Amino acid sequence: MKGKKIGLVLFLLVVSLFLLAACSSKNSSNEQTESKPQATENNEGKEKEKVELRVVTTMAGTDPAGEVFQKVLNDYMEKNQHIKIINDSQSADAGTIRTKINTDFSSNNEPELMFFFNTIDAEGIINAGKVVNLEKAEGVDLSGYNSMLEQQRNKDGNIYAAPQSGFYEGLFVNKKLFEEHSIKIPTTWEEYELAIEQFAKTDIIPVAASTVDSYYVVEHYALAAGGIDHYSAKLADQDSTWAEGLDNIAKHAKMGAFPADAATLDLAMVQDLFKQEQAAMIFEGSWFWGQLVEAGMAENVTVIPMPVYGSGGQTGDIVGGSTQGWFISTKAYEDESKREAVVDLFNYITSEEILLEIVAATGQPPAKGQLSDLPEYIAAGHKLVADAPAVDLPINDRILPEAFTYIRESVPSIVNGTKTGEQVLKEAAALE
Amino acid sequence: MKGDKFYIFLFLTPAFLISGIFLYYPFFENFKLSFYKTDGFFNSTFIGFDNYIRLFNDEIARGSTLNSFELMLYVAIFQVGIALVLAIMVNSIKRGAAFYRITFFFPIVISGAAIGLLFTLIYNYRNGLLNEILVNLGFERVLWLTEQSALYMVAIPTIWNYVGFYFVIFLTAIQKIPQDYYDAAALEGITGFQKMTKITIPLILADLKTCLVLAITGALKIFELVYIITKGGPARSSEVLGTYMYQKAFVDSAMGYGATLAVFMVVIGLTLAFITNKFIKNDKLTY
Repeated sequence: MKGKKIGLVLFLLVVSLFLLAACSSKNSSNEQTESKPQATENNEGKEKEKVELRVVTTMAGTDPAGEVFQKVLNDYMEKNQHIKIINDSQSADAGTIRTKINTDFSSNNEPELMFFFNTIDAEGIINAGKVVNLEKAEGVDLSGYNSMLEQQRNKDGNIYAAPQSGFYEGLFVNKKLFEEHSIKIPTTWEEYELAIEQFAKTDIIPVAASTVDSYYVVEHYALAAGGIDHYSAKLADQDSTWAEGLDNIAKHAKMGAFPADAATLDLAMVQDLFKQEQAAMIFEGSWFWGQLVEAGMAENVTVIPMPVYGSGGQTGDIVGGSTQGWFISTKAYEDESKREAVVDLFNYITSEEILLEIVAATGQPPAKGQLSDLPEYIAAGHKLVADAPAVDLPINDRILPEAFTYIRESVPSIVNGTKTGEQVLKEAAALE
Repeated sequence: MKGDKFYIFLFLTPAFLISGIFLYYPFFENFKLSFYKTDGFFNSTFIGFDNYIRLFNDEIARGSTLNSFELMLYVAIFQVGIALVLAIMVNSIKRGAAFYRITFFFPIVISGAAIGLLFTLIYNYRNGLLNEILVNLGFERVLWLTEQSALYMVAIPTIWNYVGFYFVIFLTAIQKIPQDYYDAAALEGITGFQKMTKITIPLILADLKTCLVLAITGALKIFELVYIITKGGPARSSEVLGTYMYQKAFVDSAMGYGATLAVFMVVIGLTLAFITNKFIKNDKLTY
């Protein structure tokens, strides 16, 4: 009887061991691949070591660049048969990519190459030395870039990310609705307020906006009130024009500028209002064109800069820049068996030809070269950037995420009069 | 007996291990995190009780706690109350009981996210179902989600979502009551409403108490319906502890403070479970 019990316990232990071994087998085989790469013949006839690279980007989901990027990777693997690339891209929507990247890097499971936000989001990774300084990395080609490369320079003076494209934000207006209602497309603050007044009298919502997911609204109202000089201030400065901008949102809400349920709408619902031609204007970014093309209304839309009335700038100043770039992980760069492959893949993806191929899918301004045969509406956006007297990054890329969330989520309280812009900024600054 | 102990230990070990690894260890880590100002990854500074001091001075956390309690009250009264009424009614009908059972239980199998989306589309001001009906009948549109109404509007799908769960528990309990009791009562001249108050409810009191404990403690877990339908708005008027904790931890990357809110939720949950258990002690009832 006792023997049977011992036998049963031993049997259970053996089963557990097998289970644990099975769970870890994948890792051990990976480790083996990493430490002892197998030899194979490449298409040039030379023996090259097999290498597996993992790439994480935001080019996935609804991003039209996702498909093109996968094709680029397939072409590269075709040309370099000893390299296997795992495309672990994930959509930037909902911000879960930030958690994924941070988890990967903090658990020593970082991708070899990544296309990620070179903003406050990457600060921890950079400070921990998890990505390489591209200017000092042997073999990395940073030639041919326009001014977007300099925008990537970190406060420590190094460049950790190579840009792919830039973006701009602005006021997207439905030309057709303006024409139908004989309302002038605004070029000044007064005209903007007049357009709000006139549309508010119709069944058309003047500005499709959410006052809770109020990212672009907050930015553009701050820009309008102070111009780029004040817009570029830090939160700690407690710039009075930011507060004025927030109070202007409340003023315009009372004029009927925004949807009645703006305090509970999310960005997707707001975009739908504009795409269904129920709203005449919307604050959005250059990535919005993809949706407008899909909705078959891009031809009816144009993008204009936010009219600025503040003394610190002029109409034409825009929110934009280049906040995403290609990073090489230090772990991959320091791994002798991977360095050559990862640098080569980096140079391939950031070469002008390939970069333009990827960027063409979205129509964003490229970081190298120029896109040709652009539709009129996309070209208008590029002109907006080219003509801009000054450009600065969105506020949420410059301040503590918690502080920005506090500001944008407090807009409904400013609208209902329980808080003032100044009060909200003071409370947000206390979080920093 | 010694052999039994061995088997008890053997078979309980996996459960202990799983609970330890996936419940107690993460909770301990979460508790530890609540003493740090951290994004959960690279930036971490020990700040002692600062997060707890912040919690007790945080107006939004206070509002969220009150909203959670208010939702808890609606859930306890209406989820359990409606389920009880429905169970008694379904039990008393001769035909079609199976149909009603399926109908009332159905919302349970729909995910909270889908119900949230459904009600978002129902309440939508411009293109929502309710306002489309009103407009077609010649009325003005109504703003359903206001600062005064948002919490009630979220309570409706929350109640609807889980009524079926308690309904099934009650129906099973009622069906277990021997028919003799009702027959004897009928001879005594008790019928209709009195039958419910004098026989049915007293005999299922233990189940009723269990449902109340489940509803009260479950209300703290309300998250997805609020997050999808109102996002805690307008102006934080429907913010609950679950949505506020999520925002702090995952949107704002303030993992330390998010962890503090999580600890606070656990403390409230345990306290409420203890109080409700203490006040409504179950008496064993055998038929």
